[in-house]
Amino acid sequence: MSGDLSRLLNAVGLLGIGTVLALAFIDQIWFRDLPCPLCILQRVGFFAAGFGIALNIVFGPKPSHYGVAIIGAVGGAAIAMRQILIHIVPGTGSYGNPVFGLHLYTWAFIAFVVIVVGCAIMLLDDRQFSRVEPMSARLKPFPLSALLLFLVLAVANIFSTIALCGAGFCPDEPKDYILFQSSP
Amino acid sequence: MMSLPFVLFACGLGAAWMRHRGVAMGFWVFGLVTMLVLFRVHVTEVLSIQL
Repeated sequence: MSGDLSRLLNAVGLLGIGTVLALAFIDQIWFRDLPCPLCILQRVGFFAAGFGIALNIVFGPKPSHYGVAIIGAVGGAAIAMRQILIHIVPGTGSYGNPVFGLHLYTWAFIAFVVIVVGCAIMLLDDRQFSRVEPMSARLKPFPLSALLLFLVLAVANIFSTIALCGAGFCPDEPKDYILFQSSP
Repeated sequence: MMSLPFVLFACGLGAAWMRHRGVAMGFWVFGLVTMLVLFRVHVTEVLSIQL
């Protein structure tokens, strides 16, 4: 696999993670499904994982960058698994609306597993690490767009989380944005 | 407080964009540690999953 193909596949992966985060935003804003603290931490997990993929795009593919992505995904998966286990016993309720029969935290766990498996598959090909070439000009727009989307989503999450939780910790079941609540 | 890891990852991405790999990795480590600390803070009760 050439460095260019590896960067292209990494860009597709980063775009996938960006899509997951954008869908979470749509669910939050359009359907007013406000994220709980663990839901926010799962978003953080996607950024921790996507960070390694972004490094692959900027600096070229390296095993350490895939390691960054895998560690981030495992951390995110642990958080998602905790939330699944909170609600796994019948009668313990759930959080948020299901999408295609599964709750968002279950989808998040599946997505984290996909990231780990995807990185493991990418690590199988050593040829991408043999020579770090600068990104070819015709390929530049797509990976850079994926990177820019990821950066914009990170900044959007900063504002969203501050609006939802203020400067402190988030309530367990947020009903409204703390920043926009009128004082009693 | 909950937005801190996003801030750290955004700074890290900014550093990567400016091609400072070491700085970017440093922000990632701090972001990850913050994420794990916040996770620990929110794990307040034992799971009741015995059937």
